[in-house]
Amino acid sequence: MIAQLVLNGFVTGLLLALPALALTLTFGILKFPNFAIGAMLTFGAYAAWVANSLLGMPLAVAAVASAVVMALVAMLCDVLVYSRLRDRGSITLLVSSLGISLVLENICRFAFGNATRNFAFEVARPIRWHGLRINQEQLITAIVVIACVILIQLLLHASPLGRAMRAVADNPALAAVRGVERQTIARITWCIAGCLTALSGVLAGLDRAVDPLLGWNYQIPIFAAAILGGLGSPTGAIVGAIVIGLAEELSSLVLPTNYRQIVSFAVILLLLLVRNRGLFGGKAVRK
Amino acid sequence: MIAYLTTLIILVAVSALVGLALNVQWGVAGLVNFGVVGFVALGAYTTALLAPPLGWFPAMITAAALCALISTVLAFLSIRLEENYLAIVTIGFGEVVRILLLNESWLTGGAVGIADIPRPFVNLVPPRQYDLMLAAFALVLVAIVFVLLETLVRSPFGRALRAVRDDATVAAALGKPVLLLRVKAFATGGAVMGTAGALHAFYLTYIDPSQFTSIITAYAFMAVIAGGRGSNFGLLFGAGTIMVLLEATRFLKDAFAVIDGTQLAALRLGLIGLGIVLLLILRPQGLLPEPQRKANDFFPDHEGTS
Repeated sequence: MIAQLVLNGFVTGLLLALPALALTLTFGILKFPNFAIGAMLTFGAYAAWVANSLLGMPLAVAAVASAVVMALVAMLCDVLVYSRLRDRGSITLLVSSLGISLVLENICRFAFGNATRNFAFEVARPIRWHGLRINQEQLITAIVVIACVILIQLLLHASPLGRAMRAVADNPALAAVRGVERQTIARITWCIAGCLTALSGVLAGLDRAVDPLLGWNYQIPIFAAAILGGLGSPTGAIVGAIVIGLAEELSSLVLPTNYRQIVSFAVILLLLLVRNRGLFGGKAVRK
Repeated sequence: MIAYLTTLIILVAVSALVGLALNVQWGVAGLVNFGVVGFVALGAYTTALLAPPLGWFPAMITAAALCALISTVLAFLSIRLEENYLAIVTIGFGEVVRILLLNESWLTGGAVGIADIPRPFVNLVPPRQYDLMLAAFALVLVAIVFVLLETLVRSPFGRALRAVRDDATVAAALGKPVLLLRVKAFATGGAVMGTAGALHAFYLTYIDPSQFTSIITAYAFMAVIAGGRGSNFGLLFGAGTIMVLLEATRFLKDAFAVIDGTQLAALRLGLIGLGIVLLLILRPQGLLPEPQRKANDFFPDHEGTS
């Protein structure tokens, strides 16, 4: 029973890892938390659903298509909105991301209504292994997320682009002196964030179903994961996501399942009280 | 037509109250509150639960006081952190309130909600004219809150708040208690949001969790941005214009038969989002910007101020 919960929690955590990673990457470069992350997830899920159910692509191809679409949408948001507001401070960016979140979510609602949609995808029997039930969706989630995480870590730590991204996150002025343009790096980061959230949208849609509030339901856990890891730390976001996933699943031992979302909120509050730098650095206190 | 007009007045009054509250917190003090809807819901539910035993006025005051208290606690927990963290804590608070209202049905009636909420001054006028009466009550309430907040903003307290918003380090260096000022501003806003919730409950006489969606938060931000951050006059103007414009979208449904209810709701929310983004880019100071008061405004006889 507990082993099953741990397994489920681990997979839930992996699902959170991609958007938490996206959130933390954009925070590192642009120094504002993107409140549109949930809406981007929803939008990605709908993009995949359109490609999969309406255009008849296999789900894997649809997921790639949705990642490409979302990367473009994220870049478009940056070109049209974020880059124009970059000098106005993080609060303005924060509020503008709320605006973008409303726009993205309601484009989906306007086009497809509030009905829940499912991907055209064969449901397979769960695998049984030493008394554990492993769903096919869980297996897919684990493989996709672990692959993405390895790719991102390789990108960040073993490529010139990753070095440039880390340089801009660390000290934009110094990076600029060395010829690394913040604007270009910011755009590329938005593309990566778009891809990651779109993929997580597809995985979330597999796990639940696609509806306009899909991403909103993950919003607080995503933030909890990123804050737990220390906003701006990619490794921290992944570890944070797994901790949040485990905490949410294991909470069902003591709490009614309706209160799962409160767990993430409690983690955030507790963390801000006790260790406001998160697990992996980052500064939270103003003065 | 009169019925529609009174409805519109009350809706504008509720959103103006919420907007005024957010204007204190975010406009004047620079504290982002994404959980506006949570405070409004809390105010409405407190009023609904306490009005039958206590009467409407004590219930409304308790609602405001409770919201102020909870704002204080949340503020102390998170306000010394960066704005970014306050935003996520308040958004989480909003969700927690929603989940509690849905699940603690022994108290809140769950998804069904609470009905038959007593209204103020019911015996004063015949039921036929009651809506007019309530509209007048709403306007008086907005006027009182407006005068109180405008006085507050013009007072030394308000000046100190703006100083903290513009540069907390300088304000602290001048000996202003930054944390305390922020907590007070946040609590004031919370109290007004609770009052707005009470008015909402009085108007509808039944409440359920589905009435308290993030659209309330979105309206408030739109109103503050449109009016001009920090400007109470601007806020009233902003809240009024937005409500009227949004009500006008209702008629789109008649003009275009293809648009159904869900699409209309989506269109409205999407337009609010678009409006927020466009205003931030094109007119960040708002339509009626916060007045920049100079020393001369306060000391007209003072000579030689440069």
